Amino acid sequence: MVETRATVLENVRIAENIYALTFATEQPVPIRPGQFCMLGVAGFPLRRPIAVCKAEGERVTVCYRVNGRGTETLARGYRRGHTLPVLLPLGNGFYVRGEERRIAVVGGGVGVFPLISVIRAYAGEKEIYAYMGFRNRAAVCMQYELQRSKELVIATDDGSFGTRGTAVQALMEDFGRVKPDVILSCGPLPMLRALKNAVGGKVPAYVSLEERMGCGVGACLVCVCTLTNGAHARVCKDGPVFDLMEVDLDG
Amino acid sequence: MADLRVDLCGVTLKNPVIPASGTFGFGREFHELYDISVLGGVATKGLTLEPRAGNPTPRIAERRGVILNAVGLQNPGVRHFIEEDLAWLREKTKVIANVAGKEIGEYGQICALLDGKVDFIELNISCPNVKCGGMAFGIRPENVEQVTRTAKAALKTTPLIVKLSPNVESIAENARAAERGGADAVSLVNTFTGMAIDIERRRPILANNTGGVSGAGIKPIAVRMVYEASHAVKIPVIGMGGIACAEDAVEFMMAGACAVEVGTQNFTDALACPKIIAGLEAWCDAHGVGRVRDLIGAVRMNG
Repeated sequence: MVETRATVLENVRIAENIYALTFATEQPVPIRPGQFCMLGVAGFPLRRPIAVCKAEGERVTVCYRVNGRGTETLARGYRRGHTLPVLLPLGNGFYVRGEERRIAVVGGGVGVFPLISVIRAYAGEKEIYAYMGFRNRAAVCMQYELQRSKELVIATDDGSFGTRGTAVQALMEDFGRVKPDVILSCGPLPMLRALKNAVGGKVPAYVSLEERMGCGVGACLVCVCTLTNGAHARVCKDGPVFDLMEVDLDG
Repeated sequence: MADLRVDLCGVTLKNPVIPASGTFGFGREFHELYDISVLGGVATKGLTLEPRAGNPTPRIAERRGVILNAVGLQNPGVRHFIEEDLAWLREKTKVIANVAGKEIGEYGQICALLDGKVDFIELNISCPNVKCGGMAFGIRPENVEQVTRTAKAALKTTPLIVKLSPNVESIAENARAAERGGADAVSLVNTFTGMAIDIERRRPILANNTGGVSGAGIKPIAVRMVYEASHAVKIPVIGMGGIACAEDAVEFMMAGACAVEVGTQNFTDALACPKIIAGLEAWCDAHGVGRVRDLIGAVRMNG
């Protein structure tokens, strides 16, 4: 974990309301799939927690949805050569033990982007089956990265691209044939709940959660989630990745 | 090289910069980023007699220049802190144990458990986010005096700091009430009670509806209150409220603070405290101030 000055290399719109920011850190930072960073936007007291999509040495790409004044400023105010403070890498990331052969990645909306870091890390040695849900054709992006998977199904809510329906529905259509050893997922809560209903307990599954954060390092206890045993866990430090069966998604 | 040491109730702090309660846990997480032994002290997360789960989420919101929080005193309980974290933290720096009770007697019990084990106790009688305990004792001067007296009676050796709420009629009156109750110091300000509404959903952002406002936007009000409190009492005053840089810390010290706490800025910049310490030394050197303690109360009022 380091606090560093990031220099913007590129900050471009890649889909409706979605931007990809690539920056260079002052020194190479090892980042595991599913970890995130806290980006400082000038004039805003809170940092923006954003999952890392791609990381190579000191070159890091994060993708974000413009969802308020902070991300709007990030999208409009930062161009090549500008700098911003960043704290990274944060959180536990997706943990793959090694003996799994078939990994299913299930993403929805901006939840697709941390899973790209999984695909990039394991596409060479594992069979990756990707099920990615987007609202519609205009939201589909990063296909080049997603296509590193052994198989890729893109689903849209309105059927304007790929299959009609959700990423979880697409996963379940293939479930019997693909027989994944592990499922890694990130997306909106309703999608994660659908995943739990569909595969919970049948196969090991890990989900990455989102929550409003304060410090990003586990000190302030702002971003807690509830575990099925009733305890609180810190999304930023104990997560963001949790065992699907150990996290309460209804709280 | 300016002398950054300050005296607080007979205890020497290596510098006047202390991360504020609730923004820094017990120091372990930030220690992964920098050596926290550079700090003047650490004000711990608010401790209660029994573990507390805290409020539902969202617990944080942001507005121009400020944030709102409603964590609700989630903590593992004072005994867990004593067993698991205290020895580690005390090896690094001075420990200011922030404590909260849900009734007056509980403040006494927690203080008794910590007496002699920590460098200071900071009595949280001003947490705006807990219905039972906290600010209930922090509003009326007679309650401030009573809870201070109860806590003080349970302490044989450890100095008692009373953390004052700004959501009161007169900060000077409440500072005097704490002094009458036996406080060895007061710290202020805690957060201002506020609300932020998501206008699309027509609901408050915080699950708790209201929360404590902190950050740069509250600083001028906090500076005024520190000035008023420091002129109302003889005991030392610890200042806080929107400190983001060394110059802000200097401003609070000139207003009368003998040490400062830094809260929200730890979120904006995880290295805020060490930067403020380095900046304080640089500021003093650049201004010919040999001892940072010479800044305490150095403001000269107009006319």
